[in-house]
Order: sequence, then C-alpha cells, then structure tokens
Amino acid sequence: MTHEMNHYFTDFQKFQNNGAAKSPAWVNDLRKSALADFEQKGFPTTKQEDWKYTNVAPIAKAQFAYSSKAGMVDPEFVRSLLVEGIDQFVITFVNGHLSPEHSTMEGLPAGVVVKNLIEAYITHNNLVEEHLTKYVQYQKNTFTALNTAFINDGVFVHVSAGVEVTKPIALLFISTVNNGEQTASHIRNLIVAEDGAIVNFLHNFASVEGVNTNLTNVVTEIIAKKNSIVELVKVQRESESAFHVENLYVHQHRESNVHIFSLAVGGAIARNDMSVIIDGESTECNLNGLYITSGEQLIDHHTFIHHIHPNCPSHELFKGILFDKSRAVFNGKVYVEPEAQKTDSKQTNRNLLLSDDAIVDTKPELEIFADDVKCTHGAAVGGMNETHSFYLKTRGISEGSARGILTVGFAAEATQKIRHEALRRHVDGIVVDHLRKKFGTGNLPDIVHG
Amino acid sequence: MIEIKNLHANVNGKEILRGINLTVKAGEVHAIMGPNGSGKSTLAQVLSGHPAYEVTQGSVTFEGQDLLDMEPEVRAHAGVFLAFQYPVEIPGVSNSYFLKAGLNEIRKSRGEEELDSMQFLKMLKEKMKIVEMDASFINRPVNEGFSGGEKKRNEILQMAVLEPKLAILDETDSGLDIDALKIVSAGVNKLKTPQNATIVVTHYQRLLNYIVPDFVHVLVKGRIVKSGGKELAMELEANGYDFIREEMLQSA
Ligand SMILES: Nc1ncnc2c1ncn2[C@@H]1O[C@H](COP(=O)(O)OP(=O)(O)O)[C@@H](O)[C@H]1O
Ligand SMILES: [Mg+2]
Repeated sequence: MTHEMNHYFTDFQKFQNNGAAKSPAWVNDLRKSALADFEQKGFPTTKQEDWKYTNVAPIAKAQFAYSSKAGMVDPEFVRSLLVEGIDQFVITFVNGHLSPEHSTMEGLPAGVVVKNLIEAYITHNNLVEEHLTKYVQYQKNTFTALNTAFINDGVFVHVSAGVEVTKPIALLFISTVNNGEQTASHIRNLIVAEDGAIVNFLHNFASVEGVNTNLTNVVTEIIAKKNSIVELVKVQRESESAFHVENLYVHQHRESNVHIFSLAVGGAIARNDMSVIIDGESTECNLNGLYITSGEQLIDHHTFIHHIHPNCPSHELFKGILFDKSRAVFNGKVYVEPEAQKTDSKQTNRNLLLSDDAIVDTKPELEIFADDVKCTHGAAVGGMNETHSFYLKTRGISEGSARGILTVGFAAEATQKIRHEALRRHVDGIVVDHLRKKFGTGNLPDIVHG
Repeated sequence: MIEIKNLHANVNGKEILRGINLTVKAGEVHAIMGPNGSGKSTLAQVLSGHPAYEVTQGSVTFEGQDLLDMEPEVRAHAGVFLAFQYPVEIPGVSNSYFLKAGLNEIRKSRGEEELDSMQFLKMLKEKMKIVEMDASFINRPVNEGFSGGEKKRNEILQMAVLEPKLAILDETDSGLDIDALKIVSAGVNKLKTPQNATIVVTHYQRLLNYIVPDFVHVLVKGRIVKSGGKELAMELEANGYDFIREEMLQSA
C-alpha cells in the first residue's frame, strides 16, 4: 500500500459506520475482501502491460473523497440526457446516489425490475447475491476492487424469461460540480436478462457544467441468459477535466445476442474495459465504439472477448477521431479456446488524426487455440483520405467543409452499428453536436443512415 | 473553352501523361478512347486537380485562366466537373446535403444567392427526373450501398445540379446495363447546351452510340496518337486498338 491510498481506508471506515451499515452481511464481507485486494494490488502503473499507454497517476494521486450524497440537478439538464421523442424508463443517479425525483419507472411491464441496488439488496436479495461479483475478477483489477470495496448503489435490472421490454431503459449517471473537493462515485450496475428476454439500455454519463475533476468508477455486470438479446449504448460525456473508469463484464449464455456501443467524448482520462465471456454455443457478440478526443484528453478502450464454445461470431468496430494533443488507446484481445471451433471473430480499429500532435496506440491481441476458425483484425491510423476529400472538392466543397463532412461520415460508420433506431439517433445527435463544437462551425451535416 | 498543351504528368514518380494536346470549344463533345492503362483517368484527374498527380510540363487554359494553378474546388467553382469512374461513398452524409453544400459554395463563389432548403429540394427533384432517380435517394448517404449503375446515375445527377461548363465523364458507361446506359446518356444529352462542353472518356465505343461525339481522340501510353470524327470510334470498335498500334509501328 502506498500512502496515496491512505484516504481510501479512512473513507472506508466512515463508509462502514454510515452508508454501508444498512446492507446485508454478505455485501459487507464482499467489501472487506475487495478492500484487501485493492490494498494488495495498488493502482496500476505504466510498467504493467495493460496500462502501458494509460498513466493513471493523476487518479492515484488525487484525494477523491467518497461521495456520500446525491446533490441537486436541474430537471432541464436531466431531460437533455434522455432519448428524444420516445417513451423510456428513466433511473437517475447523481454522484452515485439514486435521485428518485429524476426517475420514472411507471408502466414497467410485469416481470421487469429496475431499481437501485440498495433497495434490491432488500427486495431481491437472492437474485442479487446469486449474480453480484460472480463475473468479475476484482482480484485482478484495482478499479473493480475499489468499486467493490465501496459497493453501494447503482442500478439493478432483472428481466424475466421471455419478456421483451419495448421501451429503452435510460440510466443516467450525473456528476455535479465539486467546488474544489474531488469526490469519487463508485457506481455498481447489475443487469440480468433471463432466457429469451429482450432489453435495450442507454447508459448516459454526464457532468453538470462547471469545474469537475471527480472520479466516476463504474462496474457493470451483464448476464445474458439463453436466447436473450441485450443492447447497451453507453454515452460518456463527462467534463473534460473529470476521470472516468468503467469495467464492464458480460457473461453470455448460449444463443444470446449482445450489442454494446460505447461513445466516449468526455473525461481527462477515460478508461473502458469491456470483457465478454462467451459461455455457450451460437452466441453473438458485438462490441462497437466511437471515441472523439481533443485538448489533452486520453480515452482508452480495452476489450476482451473470450470464446469458449463453438459457432460464435464476435464483431468489433472501434473508431476514433482525434484533435489537438489528445491521445487514444485501443487494445482488443480475443482469446479462442481449443473447443471454440468455427469462431468467426472480426476486429477493426480505425483512427482519424485531425492533428499532427495527436497520438493513437492500437493493438490487437489474438490468441487462438482452435484450428477451424476465422479471426481477422485490422488497425489503421491516418489523416483524411485524399481521394475522398478530392471527390468533395470537385463538387465545389472547400477544404474545411470537406474535412467536417468526411469526419461526420467517418463517425457515422461507427454509429451505424447501433441497432435501436432511437438510440442511434440520440448518439448521432450527440456526435454531430460535439463535432460542431470541435470544428467551431454549425455547418456540419446531420447523420443519416442508409 | 479548354486548351491543353503538351501536358506531362507523373504519379509516384512514374510518367503517365507524355505530352497531351487537346482543344475543346463550347458546344462540343469530345471522346477520349484508349486501351486500359493508357492514362485516360489520369488525364481526367489531372484536369480536376487530384493532388496525387504531379504535372511536370505543359499548360492547361480554361476560359483564359491557368487551370493548373487552381485548387480542385476552385476549378469546380470555375465550372469544371468530373464524373468519377469510381465514385466515393460517404456514409452518414445525405446526398442532398452533399449536393447542396457543393452547389451553394459554387453559387457563393459567383456572387449568387445561396439556395435555401426548400428552393434546393424543389430544384433537386426536377433534376432527378433527368436521370430517372427515385426520390428515396435524396436522403440516402452519398453512394453508400448504391449499385454500380446507381452510382453512375448519381454522378450525372450531380452534374445536372452543378451545371458545369466542362463535364468530364470517366467511364460513365462501365457497370451499366443497356437500360441504365440509355437513361444516363439521355440525361447527359439533355444537359448539353451550346455554352457547355463534354469530354467523354471511355474504353468502349458502346456509349458513343448514345452520346454522339464531334471528335474522337485515341490515347495510347499517355499520348493522343490519332484524332478524328465519330467514325474513328466505329473503326476502333471493328478493329480494336491493335490497328492503331500497328499504324504507330509503321509510322515509327
Ligand atoms: N495512383 C496511382 N499510383 C500508381 N500508378 C497509377 C496511379 N494511378 C494510375 N496509375 C497508373 O497509370 C497508368 C494509367 O492509369 P489510368 O489513367 O487509370 O488508365 P486508364 O484510365 O486509361 O485505364 C496505369 O499504368 C496505372 O497503373
Ligand atoms: Mg480509367
């Protein structure tokens, strides 16, 4: 343990005497054991392969206090985070704590539970205990261990067998202005889709405007049972001075279908680890994403797909747009077990550098132990395509406009992967708004898809 | 309208155009024919200003101005248009946005009022009739998922909207079935006026049955080796490019 970590132990004591006291004994045991793992592991350094390009020293050094209450947010701001033009269920957390006044669960279909974890410990203790941390190896990941030590609130979703949730469920995680005090929110989400369930999520991480140097440290566990379909669209647009870490663990049973999309535009340092265990035949796994970085931001995606069973396709498309002196990291690991024959795995990472000072570190990591598989990967880092931009110019379009239009097109190729139409439109809108700000012009096209 | 003199051009250090001379006047249609790899597309791209091609010698004057000195978009503003052999796909960006952006920049450069969305859409729908394109293409991403023929039609639609003085059509017939070929050619013919000119670049004579040229030039290895009227195209069709090669050998 380094002295940088001291305050976490002080906070843990406070938390034990306060917020943590109400939860069941098994949760408390979990916390204590995770704290020990956190202490033992410490924060990662760039000497570790998984953290080679992402230096979390600024996170390790900061004295984030445990955020113990929600805080106020403007209803207008909350509304701005929702999917436009459609009905949806909304559950809002502010600084990691449930904000009931900004949540609407009316009309949830029978067999669907959406509530905050604290309440679920009481109402659905067996279900929560059956799944929580079962898919997570907190011993191996400092941030997951830290999150588990402070495990408290977040969302619990349970969709019963055969139930289709037709409206998307919007999970809003808002971080407020911290007036100089740096706080940490350890958000914990547990999503269980039983056999044949169908459900779509928007995870929206946002900061209220103002100086915000908080840490949002999220762990999300998704269990997709047999034949279920789960789509999760994550939008991370926290303040560009904030820190964001999410560890997403997906456990797929046979014939399940999982679609994850990560839009990342926020954070001074943002790290997304996505790990998918394919624990059944004929599953389909799609991990896609788009990151747009500017200033001195660093956005990192680490994906891991573990093919254990035969006949499973997995597809990954991650695209990046980099301005200024920003940096991005993509590391895509695919592990194919000897039994996982007929695996069809495709991984693509493309980066558009809009500045000479931007840097991308991209690395595929394929470990294949089955012989009858199709596994491809491709990575590209480059500037604007000359022939594409020439095409636009021959139509009279100026250099500057051509850059903007082609950048929108580049982004659209990623957002196209979002299956839920309204969620796709929502993300498209955020992407174009963001690019308009970065290019400093309102004159960029809205995204259309074919 | 355009006067090309002793034009030499390189790509990646390799000389592709080796002294092209060609003059095109308003109201004329010129065909440039030649075997694969002879430099037809290179000529088209050089005239439009593709940055990958380096002009090493010669001059091109367009309406009295030095064309080679202009950026590609400035050439478009001046009235040069290239229908690409391989049109580029632009995902996410609608055909109408793309066309409107181009047209308005061209209008602005000429000191004309920009069109608003309503005016533009009305005009676009009219122009789409010329190439018999369905209205659904208005909001589809540029060329994405279009068939080969639809892409070519879309090129001619762009020509119809931008109303260039000089249109260069690069292999506009490739990938077209006979019906599409007729529609596309009829479109090109409808756009013809005494004030504009067309250079049709093609490997096959077929297109020239529909877009009838006033002059035919044969390009071989980066040089125009023979020029004539439309009957030259027939001759090429009947005898292939070999007879030109033989003639060249005999005269060499
Ligand atoms: N970007 C390029 N890089 C290298 N070689 C090229 C490039 N563009 C054209 N060439 C070469 O130049 C020659 C002429 O090509 P092109 O103009 O496309 O011929 P055509 O259109 O008559 O079939 C060919 O040998 C082709 O391979
Ligand atoms: Mg060609």
